[in-house]
Amino acid sequence: MLSYFKKSRKLLGMNSRNLEYIRPLNLKSAKRIADDKLLSKRILKKAGLPIPALIAKIRTSEELESFDWNALPDSFALKPNRGFGGEGIVVVYGKRKGTENIWIKADRSSVSVEDLKNHIRNILFGSFSLSSTPDIAFFEERIKLSKIFKPYSYKGMPDVRIIVYNGVPVMAMLRLATQTSGGKANLHLGGIGCGIDMATGTTTTAILGHQKPKIIEYLPETRLVLSGIKIPYWKQTLEMAVKAQKASSLGFLGADIALDRDRGPVFLELNARPGLAIQVANLAGLKRRLERVSELKIKTVEKGVRVGMDLFGGEIEEELEGISGKKVIGTVEKVKLIGKDGKEVEVEARIDTGAGISAIDKNLARDLGYGDAVQLWEDFHLDRVLSEEEIKALSENKTWKELEKHPDVIGVAKTFSSHGATYRIEIRLTLIVDKQEISSKLSIANRDGLAYPLLVGRRDLKRFLIDVNKVQPI
Amino acid sequence: MNISPIINFFLQEGVPLETVILILMLPIIATFIAFLRQVVGIKAFGIYTPLIVTFAFLATNGLKYGIAVFISVILTGMLMRFALRPFRLLYLPRVAIMLTAVAILILGVLVVGGGMKRTGLASVSIFPILIMITIVEKFITVQIEKGDRMAIILALETLGISIVGYFIASSNFLIQFLAHYPWAILATIPINIVLGKWTGLRLTEYWRFKEVIKNM
Repeated sequence: MLSYFKKSRKLLGMNSRNLEYIRPLNLKSAKRIADDKLLSKRILKKAGLPIPALIAKIRTSEELESFDWNALPDSFALKPNRGFGGEGIVVVYGKRKGTENIWIKADRSSVSVEDLKNHIRNILFGSFSLSSTPDIAFFEERIKLSKIFKPYSYKGMPDVRIIVYNGVPVMAMLRLATQTSGGKANLHLGGIGCGIDMATGTTTTAILGHQKPKIIEYLPETRLVLSGIKIPYWKQTLEMAVKAQKASSLGFLGADIALDRDRGPVFLELNARPGLAIQVANLAGLKRRLERVSELKIKTVEKGVRVGMDLFGGEIEEELEGISGKKVIGTVEKVKLIGKDGKEVEVEARIDTGAGISAIDKNLARDLGYGDAVQLWEDFHLDRVLSEEEIKALSENKTWKELEKHPDVIGVAKTFSSHGATYRIEIRLTLIVDKQEISSKLSIANRDGLAYPLLVGRRDLKRFLIDVNKVQPI
Repeated sequence: MNISPIINFFLQEGVPLETVILILMLPIIATFIAFLRQVVGIKAFGIYTPLIVTFAFLATNGLKYGIAVFISVILTGMLMRFALRPFRLLYLPRVAIMLTAVAILILGVLVVGGGMKRTGLASVSIFPILIMITIVEKFITVQIEKGDRMAIILALETLGISIVGYFIASSNFLIQFLAHYPWAILATIPINIVLGKWTGLRLTEYWRFKEVIKNM
């Protein structure tokens, strides 16, 4: 019980956030910037940070009536200037073919000029603004979803929230839109938050929801693991967050940064009242981190980023890797396979020290360009569990000679287990496990019904240490 | 009842005792709500709404009618939001339509109550009913800002606080105590200063961050 309270002191609660951080550090003038998206845009741009380009703004109903709708590009985002929590934002992805000025939203529904006008009227009226005051509507360039996040995002733009304090990025979270959050990445609307290791920019734990967040391992209704997502341009992203703090003079800042397919990290929004659920996503207390950096004198952006990465990154694993010279991996890891003609596929693989040779599912092998070899193997009816007699017969008939005639087949392997025996062909391809390239000999198997299409065995694991507690690949 | 000299003076000037007590209750209930927010972590619709709902409950004849009116108002607000969604109306006209619906509903409830010989309901004075109707606007604002789920949670919290507030404000002990020591309400000021400087975790946050503490 006592230790429980001791530990809870590391957490930042609402009272403390408001009284000790927001009140003294985010002055009224700075909050004004954060609550005014157009003003934040101007200030961030002046500080040299990449932002989504402003297309047009509408301040009054007269401007709305005389607005030239043909001047809008095919895709854009319409936002209320003082909106909050992602409310009142409309994003269109393109014009409907063969129509004039009808756009398509992420959920494939149409948006006409009349719809937009109505929405803008609501914005001007203040329906989406803090304290319902009249507002300005503006159009900005739509950020294009980066390939890396495509599988994880439900019709919305994922972004990274970074808490910056005293010039140091102290905690970060990747936010993903879900079906329930309606394509918005805001946690209180039902989005997903993934904690991020500050040193590497790799996701760790993930949570769903906001008030009582639930820890989840997979993206709902998929088999996509939410940990181990490596965020590209991590250092650059952190630098942007620190620069934004200097430019906005928000002492306690929540910086929202998205990743554009072409432009790289783009600054979305400044937040003067960042939420506390980020602590659950990271399974770490924010207060302790804030206290650790509060005494430091941080003079440059680079220094701030370095301190954040060093203090709040996964040190233990790095240390271990330093001593043994071997990488530490978990029992499930993301592995990239490079097949024929440079074909690349990334899958989750079971790391199994009980197996000698790595095994690959026949369908995955097909995808990687080994379709002919798999076909040949299937023609011999070998993609199944065999009895020992059958294996013996195969050996006596020298079936391996027939199979090895195919240029892709470099060998034949027999396996025996309690489930029965198999007779497999082997192919050669390159695996990339935790950035290490391994030229592997893989046996093709029918892994239908098994959780992972790839199993990495001892022969390919010489350069690694396996940590069974590490469920999340980092 | 033991009555303090100053209250006696009020009574002589023609202020009813009930009114004096109600006004003295105001800071007590307000402090109670502030305590629930800062230390326990129950948000409700701010401080004003649960406070006036408490007093609306006190002014209706018995708690059950107050609760019935409150729940019907919130339910109508919710239903009307879904009904009005396809029309995409501007904010004020939308609220006006909702208020119309709520007004008709309340009238209906009163008539049905009268028909069922529940005269208690019909004789509820109009002001507490009006107060509760205005909750609709608060409810809609929260619905827009924080979503349906949150709005319902906050409405239930408001209802809960108001019910407890009702029992506090109608407790005989407290009424007699305030009649005897009306100056005691000044004690709420230092209490609120302490609450205003309180930086510890709220009780609900221990629950919210349970997983984090476990994993530390």
